[in-house]
Amino acid sequence: MFEARTIRGRLLLQLVATIAVVPFLIPVVTMVARSLSGSGWANYAAVLAVPGFARFFLNSAIVAGASILIIYLATMAASYGFSKLRIRRKEIFFWLMMAALTLPEVVLIAPLYATAVRLGLLGTFWAVILPIAALQIPFTVLITRGYIDGIPDALFEAARLDGASTWRVFWSVLIPLARPMAVALIILVLINSWNAYLLPKVFLINDDMGVVTLLPEFFRRQYNDDTPKILAAAVVTAIPTVIAYVALQKQFERGMAAGAIK
Amino acid sequence: MTATTSALRGRATPAPTRGSGGRSTSKAARLIPSGIAWILPAFTISVGLIYYCIGYSGYLSFFDWTGGRSPMFPVGIDNYVRAFTDPIFWTALRNTLIYFVVVFAVQVVGGLLFAALMHSRIFVASVYKVIIVIPVVVAPATLAPAHIQVWQTDGTVNQILKTLGLGDVAQAWLGQSTTSLIVVTLVGCFGSVGFGFILYFAGMSQIDPEMIEAARVDGASNLRMLFSIVLPNLRPITISLAILNFITALKLFDNVWLITQGGPAHSSEFLGTLIYAQTAGTSRNVGYASALSVILLIIAISVSIAIQRRGRERAVKLEEPADV
Repeated sequence: MFEARTIRGRLLLQLVATIAVVPFLIPVVTMVARSLSGSGWANYAAVLAVPGFARFFLNSAIVAGASILIIYLATMAASYGFSKLRIRRKEIFFWLMMAALTLPEVVLIAPLYATAVRLGLLGTFWAVILPIAALQIPFTVLITRGYIDGIPDALFEAARLDGASTWRVFWSVLIPLARPMAVALIILVLINSWNAYLLPKVFLINDDMGVVTLLPEFFRRQYNDDTPKILAAAVVTAIPTVIAYVALQKQFERGMAAGAIK
Repeated sequence: MTATTSALRGRATPAPTRGSGGRSTSKAARLIPSGIAWILPAFTISVGLIYYCIGYSGYLSFFDWTGGRSPMFPVGIDNYVRAFTDPIFWTALRNTLIYFVVVFAVQVVGGLLFAALMHSRIFVASVYKVIIVIPVVVAPATLAPAHIQVWQTDGTVNQILKTLGLGDVAQAWLGQSTTSLIVVTLVGCFGSVGFGFILYFAGMSQIDPEMIEAARVDGASNLRMLFSIVLPNLRPITISLAILNFITALKLFDNVWLITQGGPAHSSEFLGTLIYAQTAGTSRNVGYASALSVILLIIAISVSIAIQRRGRERAVKLEEPADV
């Protein structure tokens, strides 16, 4: 994009990029450096030895896995219905759903809390998974419907003329054809549900149900503000996400971009 | 998944469409099966839960209620009156606006610059990219302890200032009501430039290279080209970013709660932290939290409609000649 024909120009660009990136490094470097202060690597050993540490990751995996499954199935089915099947007053249903597109989850906290208390759902994973699914589905349906609209109707008609049932068309035509979209969708939901903080904080009140975003507070209580250990826990928590991102950069970027470009 | 597919394959091949999807094959004119059953699960989960919550929120907003088994007292519109006469509410709104404007501006300029740099020939560009995207993918809740270390009195920022001989500027960033909002806003910028970068980077690869070439032949400088040719071409992305940022500012909770708790003295309060404290805090009033939620919802919907509408008008004006 920027053109630098001379060596000097190229060095200048490199210098600009390097300076611009420094502010982004400061928190990360601080985090790692401070986590090694005091007793050094022993901080990490202490954090990993805390009973129940792995439980936080397992719980996050449960929340993310269930959210992905529910959202994926509901989105694919709904996008199929909206895009390729006959629904009376289709657009009214669609816009009812899209009205919830930009809804911030904090709006749901008070009524959900009141409902969860009454139904005894406080402290269950459902109290987190269902709102996450409810908030993501309008969005995932919007982008998936757009994607499926782009698949020619002729493919579906051909399958139907060959005698395939609606189910059969769904599983054997739509699901395989929508796979590129599905990858983006799954990554998007994975990031959002793995990083969710407010809903778990309100609803997963027991320590044995904590998810990874609640780890810093858990360690603050455990260690009475022993900062290096809190930071060591944060580093350990961040590592899986960083590895996942570095390994799947393209998919992550597509997933996040799917969020805004359509 | 494969098991289901083969089971279906077994019985479905010659038979007419049956079950949830296809009732209508009797009418020759309507060969396409009905899809109402297909949208039902998504519709029930999202529309059902969300509209139920909004309705319930509206109902609760007319009560005084500390939650749980305690009694509910109907108070009419008192909760709304309380919100609009509460100086903390206005502080939260002001903070939301400041946060939105600053983070959005930094995200557009920063994201655009990084995207342009990464599209240029830069050595180890992928390393730079990973560095700015990591704050986007790692949970704010995980990075919050690091931000506290950076901004506290003996933290990294003050150390850097002292090394640069600017020791006078060093201060208790987190402990003063004059600076806490600055910290929260900068942390917001830190976590959002990478997102702007990803979108602009993807958008830039779709700009016609001939247009860039033409501008260059006309003698446009690099920066001039970026802001007068590339940015207008990426307007849909900028509009999306504006909406997403506004919603983010309205619901902001994670970073604020973990770094400043909205303090000191409510100086970095946001609607998200207010609602949370009123829902699950020690001196809570779920009715007041609901009234605040309703207000937030109305702001969120009207602003995103307004941004979208203005964006569409401009987009139409821009696209008309290009479509011919």
